[in-house]
Amino acid sequence: MNELFGMFQGLISGFGIALTLNNLTFALLGALLGTVVGILPGLGPAATISLLLPLSFKIGDPITSIIMMAGIFYGAMYGGSTTSILVNIPGEAASVVTCIDGYQMALKGRAGPALGIAAIGSFIAGTLGVIGLTFVAPPLAEFALKFGPPEYFSLTILGLLMASLLGGSSILKGLIMIVLGLLLGSVGLDPISGAIRFTWGFFLLQEGVDFVTLAMGLFGVGEILYNLEKELKTELVTRKISHLWPTLKDWAESKWAIVRGSFIGFFVGILPGGGAVISSLVSYAVEKKVSKHPEEFGKGAIQGVAGPESANNSAASASFIPLLTLGIPGNAAIAMIFAALLIQGVQPGPFLITERADVFWGVVASMYIGNAMLLILNLPMVGMWVQLLRVPYAILAPIIVLFCCIGVYSVRNTVFDIWIMGIFGVFGYLLRKLDFEPGPMILAFVLGPILERSLRQALLISAGSPLIFFKRPISGTLMGFLILFILFQIFMVLRKRRTGIKEESS
Amino acid sequence: MAAWGSTHLSMGRFKHPGPGFLPFGLGLCLIILSLILIFKNLGRSPFPLPFWPQRTWLRPMLGLVILTFYAFFINHLGFILTTFIFLMIWMGLIERLRKKTVLIISLGTTAALYLLFVFFLEIPLPLGFLKW
Repeated sequence: MNELFGMFQGLISGFGIALTLNNLTFALLGALLGTVVGILPGLGPAATISLLLPLSFKIGDPITSIIMMAGIFYGAMYGGSTTSILVNIPGEAASVVTCIDGYQMALKGRAGPALGIAAIGSFIAGTLGVIGLTFVAPPLAEFALKFGPPEYFSLTILGLLMASLLGGSSILKGLIMIVLGLLLGSVGLDPISGAIRFTWGFFLLQEGVDFVTLAMGLFGVGEILYNLEKELKTELVTRKISHLWPTLKDWAESKWAIVRGSFIGFFVGILPGGGAVISSLVSYAVEKKVSKHPEEFGKGAIQGVAGPESANNSAASASFIPLLTLGIPGNAAIAMIFAALLIQGVQPGPFLITERADVFWGVVASMYIGNAMLLILNLPMVGMWVQLLRVPYAILAPIIVLFCCIGVYSVRNTVFDIWIMGIFGVFGYLLRKLDFEPGPMILAFVLGPILERSLRQALLISAGSPLIFFKRPISGTLMGFLILFILFQIFMVLRKRRTGIKEESS
Repeated sequence: MAAWGSTHLSMGRFKHPGPGFLPFGLGLCLIILSLILIFKNLGRSPFPLPFWPQRTWLRPMLGLVILTFYAFFINHLGFILTTFIFLMIWMGLIERLRKKTVLIISLGTTAALYLLFVFFLEIPLPLGFLKW
């Protein structure tokens, strides 16, 4: 009871912080920017936040800059659906499944209700997600205080493995990305002994590869180069959007989809390596299974829009939980926010809620406000945003690249970093071309130092015995999960192979 | 795909004494994973053929060249001029927009970026000979 009281007290003080004019302005700015990048295909929230990382030096206050970046992240979840429904191109990755039924609804002249239910579902789920965050995060952080280096090592390994499994097309490629990311993270001075590694004689590499440079190269430049190949044409289905408010029948059909989506999103969002993209896929599959008329899916079923759109929003809120309580980001966009916190000198982790209660509660409270702002931005004003789709990519692309150049330059005032970014840009482009996901790589890059430090500290504690990861109760449980997980995957691969051989022989 | 994996092999063999423990282990992992990938794709075409159908490599290539130009000249020509030329070339050459549109947008964007980064955010960008 006492703890519950503490949470309410924290929340109230958080609203006190979030409701200052300055923070409200930046929350609105974040929501606006998020909606814009959500709507524009070929520019995701991770890239946008990385663009703004250098600027976060200028904003100064960590609370304000995180409020804005969080706004971009969940704002993009709102905006993405608009493009999916009207153009049949996902505005960002978490809205891929919304294309299936959303676009069909638009073709049938029901673009209005589709957009409406997406926005309302997003709002309900987003808010439920933040409520979950409010009540789950503090006890979890308290629990995480018991974690030592072995626990952190096990948790990070588990998270990275899950990210490689859930992230992309193939597990093997995901694993390769993770190993590469970890290696990149080890460039520079060794965290414990101070020895120089992998600098190839470049003095400027001694501080390691800068996160901003890597992120902008991989997500900014890499994505633009990739998109240059094909010409992105955005043709709208309809110009007129009417009946945004869903009818009673629409509402009755989709209300349980929204609730289910919210819960799925929340639990997938907490998982390390989980996140908005996967949650929307899971939700779509569940809706199809639960529905009494599964044949309507793919032909404009409103549940196929309501479920996934709710799921990605509540997942976006929930993925702040591992970041703010354990200091372990679960996906690429959250990894950017992790970097932003570090830049501002705030160490994300179990101590955050007690030591920087203002940051935690301020950001949480701003998320309640931000979701309300986004509902207003996306319901009555959706017509305005649609106009944005008319701005050709031809004009946006060079401007984004310029932003990357200047942003990278401004971190250390060297042209050297622009070169490095260019190299990562080419690398990111080739990765996309070869069907590798850059997301797990950036995650591994961020987690690399945590992983290495905890591994070596743990081995120091145990005097070199790796059994320490299995002997301690929490770490042991996590390792148990890890082994079960690997066994399960091997089993699946073997079963697939066996049935494959059977099919071939028969 | 397989060829791609093998290009990483050389990266995996660096070993530094002492602090090289984790990197060495990772390098080993990378070698093993790459080998699995190569093995898996054995006998299959290494790249999705054609890798760049119908000269689609041209536009990303041009983009890269312009980016290199930008990194090379920003210290010599200054931020304003380089940015302007960058935008002109990109929109004129890669996207082939109308000349008038290109000129107007390039001018406007350069001015806006100058205001944002140099005036408001006070980032010390190299200004070249256009200093004032």
